Amino acid sequence: MQKRIDLGIVVAVAALSLIGLIMIFSTAGISTFTRQLTWLAASIATAVVFSKISPRLWSTLAPFIYFGVILMLVLLLFTSDSYPKRWFKLGWINLQPSEFAKFATILFLATVLAAKKRLKNFSDILIPLLIVSIPAALIFIEPDLGAAQIFYPILILMLYWAGMPGVKLFIFFSPIISAAASFSIYIWVLYFVGLTVFLYFHKQLSDLVYGLVSNFLAGLSMPIIWNSLKPYQQQRIISFFSPWLDPKGMSWQTIQSKIAIGSGGIIGKGFLSGTQKRLEFLPERHTDFVFSCLGEEFGLVGIVLTTLIFGYLLYKILILTKETKNKFSSILASGILAWFSYQTFINIGMTLGLLPVTGVPLPFISYGGSSLLACFMAVGVCMAISKSKFKY
Amino acid sequence: MEENIKKFKAIRNIIIAGFIIIILASARLQIIEGKKYFRLSEKNRIRQTVIPAPRGKIFDRNGIEIANTRPGFYVSVIPSIVDKAALTELTHILGIKEKTVREKFKSEKNPFMPVKIAHDISYSQLSIIEENMDRLKGVEVAVEPLRNYPYGELFCHVLGYVGEITNLEIKKYENYSINDYIGRMGIEEYYENTLKGINGVEYIEVDARGREIGKLAEKRPVPFIPGKDLHTTLDCALTESVAVYLADYKKAACVCLDPRNGEVLVLYSKPGFDPNLFVHGLQEEEWKILNTTPDAPMYNRAIMSCYPAGSTFKPFIALAALDSKMITPDKSFSPCWGKYRLGRRIFKCWKIHGKLDLYGAIIKSCDIYFYQLGAFIGIDTIASRAKEAGFGRKTGIDIPNEKNGCLPDRTWFEKHYGKNWTEGHLFNLSIGQGDLLVTPLQLACAFTLFANNGEIPTPHINKELKPQYHKTSFSKEALEVVKEALGGVVLSGTGQLARIKDCEICGKTGTIQNPHGEDHSLFIGYAPKERPEILVCIFIENAGHGGSVAAPIAGKIIKAYLKTKSTYAKEN
Repeated sequence: MQKRIDLGIVVAVAALSLIGLIMIFSTAGISTFTRQLTWLAASIATAVVFSKISPRLWSTLAPFIYFGVILMLVLLLFTSDSYPKRWFKLGWINLQPSEFAKFATILFLATVLAAKKRLKNFSDILIPLLIVSIPAALIFIEPDLGAAQIFYPILILMLYWAGMPGVKLFIFFSPIISAAASFSIYIWVLYFVGLTVFLYFHKQLSDLVYGLVSNFLAGLSMPIIWNSLKPYQQQRIISFFSPWLDPKGMSWQTIQSKIAIGSGGIIGKGFLSGTQKRLEFLPERHTDFVFSCLGEEFGLVGIVLTTLIFGYLLYKILILTKETKNKFSSILASGILAWFSYQTFINIGMTLGLLPVTGVPLPFISYGGSSLLACFMAVGVCMAISKSKFKY
Repeated sequence: MEENIKKFKAIRNIIIAGFIIIILASARLQIIEGKKYFRLSEKNRIRQTVIPAPRGKIFDRNGIEIANTRPGFYVSVIPSIVDKAALTELTHILGIKEKTVREKFKSEKNPFMPVKIAHDISYSQLSIIEENMDRLKGVEVAVEPLRNYPYGELFCHVLGYVGEITNLEIKKYENYSINDYIGRMGIEEYYENTLKGINGVEYIEVDARGREIGKLAEKRPVPFIPGKDLHTTLDCALTESVAVYLADYKKAACVCLDPRNGEVLVLYSKPGFDPNLFVHGLQEEEWKILNTTPDAPMYNRAIMSCYPAGSTFKPFIALAALDSKMITPDKSFSPCWGKYRLGRRIFKCWKIHGKLDLYGAIIKSCDIYFYQLGAFIGIDTIASRAKEAGFGRKTGIDIPNEKNGCLPDRTWFEKHYGKNWTEGHLFNLSIGQGDLLVTPLQLACAFTLFANNGEIPTPHINKELKPQYHKTSFSKEALEVVKEALGGVVLSGTGQLARIKDCEICGKTGTIQNPHGEDHSLFIGYAPKERPEILVCIFIENAGHGGSVAAPIAGKIIKAYLKTKSTYAKEN
């Protein structure tokens, strides 16, 4: 049987990390670049170590890692004296437990889902939902909305891959759509009618009852939740939908990011020549908005190249997910796929003004030791899976 | 397994769709909207700083500067940088309202552009701001050329003033920015395009916090083009004399023209205001006071006040009668016994004159003679000939807001009093009272007819304008008769107090009946009689008889003028 690691993933990750280093040098200078380089070295070493650990052992360790991370998140809330409470300050290193929580939760969830014989009912969703909701809630309190939301797409994809029918998943999570649609009564009514018709033809009474009641309640409670939001939170949502309303305020980041990418044109302004970046019009240049700088300095060419590499990486992980014979490994890989792809789309979508601004780093490219390390841990696990993908 | 393949395809398709969306969205931003965003990024980093062009100077006829520019410090604020504490502190130092400043912010859409909030700050304000500069982030102080009127009130009405352009005005005028000044009233408004100049631009690279990184190498600054100087016909020294002579009176207007070419030597109105005040930016209350005070200091009485012409209209009646050959100079009517009965009404004269010919009637300003003369020649002759002399319409002087006055004719009377308007109305018109209204400038222009042998030059203030003439059809003989009589007015008639040594003046007094208070005093005259160089028209509100108040002042003005004229000094 094949025992070689998947080179495609390695090459893609190496290319993305290199792009990341180049962009961090361009946006934040030599000292940040050096720090990222150090993190990268440590991350590669970790990945190499992780690639040697058998997936079976991960399955055994998963609960301990998961509860260890939960403990870290709780400790962080009680010990951190900064705001938001996102980092442990350990000398010159800042550790961000939320990044590791993603990894730990995927591991544990894969273990739990692999142990289930069948995933069919809504009740089968409840325990996995609880598993992701504990870290998500703790991270939400920090507060870090960007990191907290990621757990749910990961959950959905892992459930789907583990065997839960798509229709069930849709019906279960449909109240979220109802809540979003309820901003306009017309859209909501339209959605609700459509949903009713769909559920009627689905021909399952329990689903029909659950779907109608939960969607109705979600749609009803949204205005109440909206009114209970703080004005700045409401402002954020409003400014996403109409960014030019208040160009000096909340929409500033989106506008400046679009200006940076748009002004890059086809071939970009050239390495180190981005004016939006250099003159600090662009916020969070080396972290959340590093992709905007890439667009400004390397233009559409740079963007297409980078997204193709991302696409290739995700495709390779997807293939891995499909080809892996071991159920736990396969579900684990699907969790990693969900994590990387969701973060990639959310981050890029935000810089392009397609999605609201939530602080989500771009895997392998954004500056950030914890994020890089966690991603490389996952890559190490993927390597381990790829080595043993034909083992049941 | 089959299920897994289905799911694999579903996930793969979602990922592919995601990347297609990303690439399409990027392509839209970078190819379709690339130019727009490039412009926006340039606009972000490049701040255009306007270098204001100094306004052109205004000179009097002898080269004296009556409006010039001086340097002044102004404060501007970059809205995206200034914080609330800094703004509060700054408005406190400057003594202005925070609300006003925020209003100004609204006018500038680009939050990186500095907005001027205070002009011409004092040295003490400047030093306080400079001391606290590190706390006052986003606040800048710079120098700009400011309008300066060295003679203050003296030329306020004729010069006008400059003020900051308003949000409303900026929509009307192109090429103006919110920090610009614009001329209002007088020469400043009329010659705005000449005086304004073209602002220069300097390109500065700034960062997101509005901090200047440096001058932009790839874009050269555009130098400003200063406004053109304007040389006027105004006589500074003479205007000063006029102001001195009228010092004792509250409300008055004086126009002095060169009757030969229409050059305006003096256009004076009082009370006035200090146009320098507007340079600082007038506070709302100050503006209110200036605009609502009953004496109306902003009102240019010389071109806007419409008074009855009073007895100064009589020479025009006489001219109309003579020119139409309806009478000869020795024509007399019923003698003046101080009263004249018309139907049931009694019309009075200011004195008992007895029997008079035309000369006598003008010299002694007999109302009863002119009641009869007016009725004799009729409304149509009076109206048409007065119209020819320029009554009832603007003179066309090169400053704005001139009024028409009012010259009633048959149609006018019928419109206002119906078919039954009476001879009484005509009587009033014949002595320049009632419905006839003239501005001092209009009257002065009409009088050039006598000084200039039937030609009326268009009055003008810009020295570079070529004189233009309105040629009337009045016969030389008729004009000579009236001129002779006008000489008599000063020599031995009602205007004797205007007499000066060694120079014969022609003129006419007027006392305008004022039902609301003391009569208005009026005198109009020109000198020297044979080769007229100056024509003076003075209205003094509520000052009494024209002969006793306005006439002596006119004499003094003419004397002051002639004294400075070297030609006159040599010849005499």
